[in-house]
Amino acid sequence: MKTADIVKVPTYCYQCVCGPDLLKVVVKDGVPVAVEPNFDAAEMHPAAGRVCVKAYGLVQKMYNPNRVKQPMIRQNKKKGLDQDPQWAPVSWEEALDLVAEKLSEIRKKGLVDDVGYPRLAVTLGGAGTPQAYFGTLNALFAVWGPIDFSLGSGQGVKCYHTEHLFGEYWHRAFIVAHDAPYTRLVISFGHNDNAAGGVTGVWRNAEARARGMKWVQVEPHLSVTGATADEWIPIKPKTDPVFLYGMLHTALFELGWEKVADHEFLKWRTNSPYLVGPNGYYLRDPVSRKPLIWDAFGDAVRTYDDRRLRDPALAGEYLVDKAVEIGPDNEVFEHRDVVGKTAFTLLLEHMKKYTPEWAGGICEVNPSTIRRLAREFVENAMVGASVVVDGVKLPLRPVAILLGKTVSNGWGAYQAVWARTVLQMLVGAIEVPGSILGVTIRLNRPMFDRLESVRVGVDGFMAQYLNPTDGEKWEARPKVRNAYKTLSPLVLDSSWSQALGPAHLPWLFMKHPPENWPTPTPPDVWIIYRTNPLISGWNPDLIADCIKNFPFIAAFAYTHDETNWFADVLLPDNTDLEGWQLYRVGGTSYQEQFWNYMGVAIRQPVAKPPYNTMDMTDIATELADRIGLLREYNTAINNGVLGFRLKTPLYDYSLDPERKYRAEEIWDRICRAATMTLSNGRHEYGLDWFKKNGFYLVPYRQINWYLHPVMVAKRLRYELPYQEKVARVGLELGRRLHEHGIRWWDAQLEEYSALPECHDFSKIFEKVSVVFGRKPEEYDFWLVTTRSMQYSWGANVAVPVLADVSSHVMGHRAVMMNEDVGRRMGLRDGDEVWIESAIGRVRGRVLLRQGIRPDTLVALQQFGHWVTPVAKDINLPNMNKLVPLALETTDGTGSGSDLIKVRVERVRR
Amino acid sequence: MTRWGMVVDLRRCVGCQTCTIACKLDNGTPPNVYWRLVRDVEIGRYPSVKRFFLPLQCMHCADPPCLTVCPTTATRKRGDGIVYIDYSKCIGCGYCILACPYEARWLIKGRKGFFNNLLTEPEKLSPLSDKVGVCTKCDFCVDRIDYGIANGLKPGVDPDATPMCVNSCIAKALVFGDLDDPNSEVSRLIREKNGFRLLTEMGTDPSIYYVW
Repeated sequence: MKTADIVKVPTYCYQCVCGPDLLKVVVKDGVPVAVEPNFDAAEMHPAAGRVCVKAYGLVQKMYNPNRVKQPMIRQNKKKGLDQDPQWAPVSWEEALDLVAEKLSEIRKKGLVDDVGYPRLAVTLGGAGTPQAYFGTLNALFAVWGPIDFSLGSGQGVKCYHTEHLFGEYWHRAFIVAHDAPYTRLVISFGHNDNAAGGVTGVWRNAEARARGMKWVQVEPHLSVTGATADEWIPIKPKTDPVFLYGMLHTALFELGWEKVADHEFLKWRTNSPYLVGPNGYYLRDPVSRKPLIWDAFGDAVRTYDDRRLRDPALAGEYLVDKAVEIGPDNEVFEHRDVVGKTAFTLLLEHMKKYTPEWAGGICEVNPSTIRRLAREFVENAMVGASVVVDGVKLPLRPVAILLGKTVSNGWGAYQAVWARTVLQMLVGAIEVPGSILGVTIRLNRPMFDRLESVRVGVDGFMAQYLNPTDGEKWEARPKVRNAYKTLSPLVLDSSWSQALGPAHLPWLFMKHPPENWPTPTPPDVWIIYRTNPLISGWNPDLIADCIKNFPFIAAFAYTHDETNWFADVLLPDNTDLEGWQLYRVGGTSYQEQFWNYMGVAIRQPVAKPPYNTMDMTDIATELADRIGLLREYNTAINNGVLGFRLKTPLYDYSLDPERKYRAEEIWDRICRAATMTLSNGRHEYGLDWFKKNGFYLVPYRQINWYLHPVMVAKRLRYELPYQEKVARVGLELGRRLHEHGIRWWDAQLEEYSALPECHDFSKIFEKVSVVFGRKPEEYDFWLVTTRSMQYSWGANVAVPVLADVSSHVMGHRAVMMNEDVGRRMGLRDGDEVWIESAIGRVRGRVLLRQGIRPDTLVALQQFGHWVTPVAKDINLPNMNKLVPLALETTDGTGSGSDLIKVRVERVRR
Repeated sequence: MTRWGMVVDLRRCVGCQTCTIACKLDNGTPPNVYWRLVRDVEIGRYPSVKRFFLPLQCMHCADPPCLTVCPTTATRKRGDGIVYIDYSKCIGCGYCILACPYEARWLIKGRKGFFNNLLTEPEKLSPLSDKVGVCTKCDFCVDRIDYGIANGLKPGVDPDATPMCVNSCIAKALVFGDLDDPNSEVSRLIREKNGFRLLTEMGTDPSIYYVW
């Protein structure tokens, strides 16, 4: 714009799970100098083509002189925190030959080891973001055979884990978001949308605030999201489910469910009217085995799908002359003249004791506040209202309760997620305009069509594909090290399931194997990409102790870091602005994405890479060729492993399976396949078109944001509030484990309940110190964490401009502490303190502020680096060093929680 | 007449610093120099606390104290209200830095990049790469505005004619336009949302308005 030698190159940014967002890189005389929003997409992108702060760091990320500038091989054969790797630069040929040699050895020995675990393990960084940068590497993984993706780098701890599992189970919501254009009231329990919602989340929320949406933030410290909220409620850490139970009690009993509920929704879209027998299972028709409902019209019992059913009874108990219950392992309980209670009646009985007074005493919030929010919630739900979307009249229920990560992880998360969803259910505020919506799916299939994943299953619910727990099909011998199929039925068995199993357990079990369990072995080859488990995982010293024994580690490396310190070879791949890839955008995939378009966007080199790095697609092709899998690799690409099949009746862009292709050739064909597929044969655009235009979009109807029309069309019900199947599956899982002498998962099994009991879950975390021989009363502070938009998942802690600008946001330079408490301890801003838990201590500076509970400390994001350039000078402590890897803090879904009790002591000079 | 100005919607701003970094990149400012930034502010006492984000930059005052103290006439004001620095005349004396009540002026002491003395290729091409020993500040991306007007574009509406901070904002918290035009978006916002300005008691008559 300013001079004639400036060009603007379109590309995408997917450094966090909110996106991909579209941008242009300003290139001056062949050198990228600036980043701009892609205003070509202003009318189609939900945030008018904007990108967030991280994208503006990409130019510096590319030219960072601290990068690993060529492949390197370790000279020091010893590995350890105290062992300098003694890196020696090598050519790409040598580096790839070495990796291929190690991979080929595996293929000769057998893909699984003697214990039964894959010899190849791969650990990827945050939440699927690496896939947007690793070119065709997925095709190589797809044809390899068994790979262990279950060695965690923070998964299950740093995500919305229980929400992921139960969200998909209940309403195909891997991520739950509010329908911002319509929502009137959001009650957020630590959901940090201003940091975690990405550009679209921030934009949509700002618009909603401008039109009057109310946001209440319930969390121990006043986060950046709390800053723009209308009200902050400083709740005691990890007591959120108690608050939610208090709200649910208020709505049911004090406000009166008869008055506030969406009766039609409960009757026809939930299992509320299902009759439950004395053993806790649905009463079923003895012949068809279908669940029974009492029809208040005609006082008759009918199956849930009986066309004569007119008025399902929500409350009460009814006498059924003949019925069966089906328990675990298909045990049948036959009944005559049995009394069945509706599931809703059982909910009422269950919730009776959870009063606001009970809740307030635990979560340290005035019961009147709990009552008020319950009232505001049901009032704003506007039961009975409707709105027309794309010509279709839909219920309008503009209320949403959102949960943060520590809330939806670890003990108490099931209760929090259940109570939240039941509150939404009560007023019919699920998957309709204004309510909570699923944004994406990761466990169910097809991955890019959430509505299509809703298929008719048994008992009137959508089909579920839980990992088997019956005696015949249960996977007694884990096939990967976190045993997701063995321990976690709800995590299913798709390509994301390994990462969502209990991914911290392999590290724990390598060092502390439990009884009657195949001890996880070190993989022969461990490949790591865009991840740094020694920073992002709990108890990094234990992880270091594990990986020092890994025989061969290949690390795709941007800079030297704490984990690749242990590697045998460093492979510096082309980073964000240097490589080729076509990626899906739009629709409702990924977090906070609600588009009226869907399609694909290109990632392309904006200039010649400044260092001796290599495109990931070329790396994958070279490795496939070297290990003799080129044919299979090309065939996998032809078959659509990268998102679009290269041959259909419409077109044929197939790769010759025997030929080696350059990255541009492969992506050109994928561009053509994508545009032909999306346009149904009207447009064929290759790489040259995408280089100029950046993205290709087709319309996506807003009504597709909502599951409700599909549920109605398929006559399906949400499996709420009563978790009959979950309870039965839990009992089966317990039997299987006990049959194999495994008792160490018993506490986790208790979580599988039809109506979850609630209690003060913070006590579990208070008592963790006892496991390590310490007394709970030694530790008087809760240490929790909060997210930094400037850093999350970008693999950019080594980019100094992000450190520079993020320093203006509280917490990026020091651990946050209540000012009055700090003063009483004689502390001032910037003073150094020791923060100590039962397993270790870290050193850092304090920032004293008012917006935090007196009993809470907040350590932002994950720092504490000692190798990574730039990051190691930021001098922020990492709470992960204080949090143990322990079964005691692992819940039934296999997740833990980012909080720990600590004490604070001033550093004495 | 035209008087360029900006409205900052504090209810929308989330303190993400996207405007801060977009400005840094576009103008090539070195580390610790912020022609604009967003302050993270907390007021009140626990538990009655309010946190908010306050974007700050040169206020392009109608009566700029920095201009009157400049001994070399390097600081100037255009007819459209944009206060700018003629770097060829600036001697880096720092009077203007002391005079500015908004702390919006930044002295560039040496040619230092984000990787210390090693300047990356993009840093070498920074518009400020040869500006050492001078005071710098936000100029409302005056080159973009001039380019836009020369090409029939409307500042505040067309991105190519609009300051980068406004273009980059992910919350639509920044609006740019002509304060003298009663029909402009900035004038409408100021009117309808009771726009206010900072430190008006200093007699500066700033061109940045805030709304809530």
